[in-house]
Amino acid sequence: MVSNRRQFLCGAGAAGLVAAAGCVGGFGDEGDGENVEVGMVYATGGLGDDSFNDMAQQGAVQAEEEYGISFDEAEPESVGEFDDAQRSFAESGNYDLVNCIGFAQEEALEGNAEEYPDQDFIIVDTVVEADNVRSYLFDEPAGSFLVGTLAGLLTDEEFAAGDGETNPDESAVGFVGGEESPLIESFHAGFEAGVEHTNPDAEVFSSYVGDFNDTATGQEAARTMYESGADIVFHAAGRTGIGVFQAAEDEGRFAIGVDDDQSVSQEDYADVILASMVKRVDEAVFDAIGTVVDDAFEGGEVEEIGLEDNGVEAVYGESIGDEVPEEIRDEVDETREELIDGEIDVPDEL
Amino acid sequence: MIELPSRPDRRTLLVGLGAITAVWVVLGLVFPDSWAGVLLSIAANPSTHTTMLRLAVPIALAAIGGIFAEKSGVINIGIEGLLIVSAFSAIIVTFWLGSGESTLALSHHWWGFAVGVLVSTLFALLFAVVCIDFKADQIIAGLAVWLIALGLAPFVSRIVFDSPNTAGVGYFQNVTIPVLSEIPLLGYLLFDTPPQVYIMLAAAVAGWYLLNRTAFGRWVVASGENPKALDTAGVDVRRVRYTAVLLSGIFAGLGGAGFALGQLGTFAGGGETAIGGRGFIAIATYLFANYHPIGALLGSFLFAGLEAMQFQLQNLGYAVPTELIRTIPYATVIVVLVFVGKTRLPEAAGEAYDGDED
Repeated sequence: MVSNRRQFLCGAGAAGLVAAAGCVGGFGDEGDGENVEVGMVYATGGLGDDSFNDMAQQGAVQAEEEYGISFDEAEPESVGEFDDAQRSFAESGNYDLVNCIGFAQEEALEGNAEEYPDQDFIIVDTVVEADNVRSYLFDEPAGSFLVGTLAGLLTDEEFAAGDGETNPDESAVGFVGGEESPLIESFHAGFEAGVEHTNPDAEVFSSYVGDFNDTATGQEAARTMYESGADIVFHAAGRTGIGVFQAAEDEGRFAIGVDDDQSVSQEDYADVILASMVKRVDEAVFDAIGTVVDDAFEGGEVEEIGLEDNGVEAVYGESIGDEVPEEIRDEVDETREELIDGEIDVPDEL
Repeated sequence: MIELPSRPDRRTLLVGLGAITAVWVVLGLVFPDSWAGVLLSIAANPSTHTTMLRLAVPIALAAIGGIFAEKSGVINIGIEGLLIVSAFSAIIVTFWLGSGESTLALSHHWWGFAVGVLVSTLFALLFAVVCIDFKADQIIAGLAVWLIALGLAPFVSRIVFDSPNTAGVGYFQNVTIPVLSEIPLLGYLLFDTPPQVYIMLAAAVAGWYLLNRTAFGRWVVASGENPKALDTAGVDVRRVRYTAVLLSGIFAGLGGAGFALGQLGTFAGGGETAIGGRGFIAIATYLFANYHPIGALLGSFLFAGLEAMQFQLQNLGYAVPTELIRTIPYATVIVVLVFVGKTRLPEAAGEAYDGDED
């Protein structure tokens, strides 16, 4: 069926996507979104970041495929350009929804939400209080807590998989952050609490690089941790995190990825990526567009996306995740249940 | 008229620094748990030293390049741009050729390295033409080199990889020289280290020799101090300046390509790119070193070493704001320029030379 539809779409290629979507809609099974237009304003760093922005785009593409909506994109290069990018979508009046990706757009959106009260917006990773803005917050601390649990348990095990192995004599793990900000610190706090929860004796090294694109510094920061005995390093540092994976390869240790399943998106390093703390930004964008298509968009609300609906989750690495011992996986699963039931308090700041 | 405090001469300064270091070492040894002790143990940690050597590579080489340009009278603040283009082209060429394979018995990493140096030299040539023949403002032309590089690298990357970040091509492994690498301290510092570190050390010595021990070096200095006198002596100022600026391209290219293929292995093109201002730190470094190539090498050790120590400090749980650490090179330069006052820009730096003037 899927391939049939693909063939059909290919055949109808000349007629264009709108026509194709119209045909699909004509069968009456799904999507009446062909009139819906969506604007995407990505975080600085732009598309091709293999994480945050690309996931947001996936959500929009998924909505395009399922509802037949169309979307336009803006990739501001600096914080100062957010205002213009949001404004140009809102000003035209053609867009049913403008998706603002990333906490750095908060300030610009506060102004624009007020100025364009008839335009619906969503913002991801922060809260803007306005009747026409729906805010999506991810429970990063809980997700980080979960991978912290995994790291805390594994560091005491004698474990080897792919290109890495642990040193059971040293009980230490690490965290590498990008720029110091409340968001990145919430990853750090959750991770540290997760390690502490399962392995109170383990040491947690931490380092902030001060940049999301400085792979060399990320590599040296992580290398310093591995040389000091860390077995597993978790990063929340964007592109800087590639340096963490490189250091893990060189030192024969493990790393934990962030945002998407990095053992897939960064397959060069799949042999050291134990797991990734995945944030389903795509789901948030897709859901938001869905509500617009159904005419059910509700602004002025904060939607918290957590472990229970897998909005954040610990995804085991594609190539070495299967080798994580069963009892450790079980314990991580149990912790997940406890977190969902609210039995554990996760700090969201250091 | 304000009376400036008299500037300390070199000897008092060295004695002062030596005394502070001695007090630190003694304090550190006596009280190992104190700040002095912690810092001492970090400074003595081999991991700090190897990190320092690797991080110093782009800074030291770009600084040595900058020395030649500026000494000849052409201020090249575009070396950040040269680092970016050389790093990026080294990686993309290695990617195109196919990493891990070799052509004509030379691994593709080295071909990529050569192209990186070449591209940086071509950019320097462009800069030289604009500044020397067309007499453009050197600061503006230098900024243009940086801004063009900052936009060009992610742009090409988007065309090729559909992303501002390139694919990974891997990086050089350490070159370990048997027997010699067993020597304590010197062994792991000098004989078990990646190739770009050897290049850096060799370039510093070569740069020093060229600038201080050859006729060309004297011409470079004269071209920056008193181009008219050099002209009168029958040496072509234009040619000396061209050569000096091209040299800055070659050195910066060695730094950028060496850093890219020795450490980065992939090029992040977002924000300020993976180079992230190291070219500007290089400028601060050679000003700090008063245009001495070996001094620039040591200065880059200082700045890279501080960064390396900062990782260890953070590991030990001392929160050091990274933003603050990053301002150290610039702050140091201001302190050096104001209080030590040994650094003096070449007399004719920043001015185009017109031999036909009168």
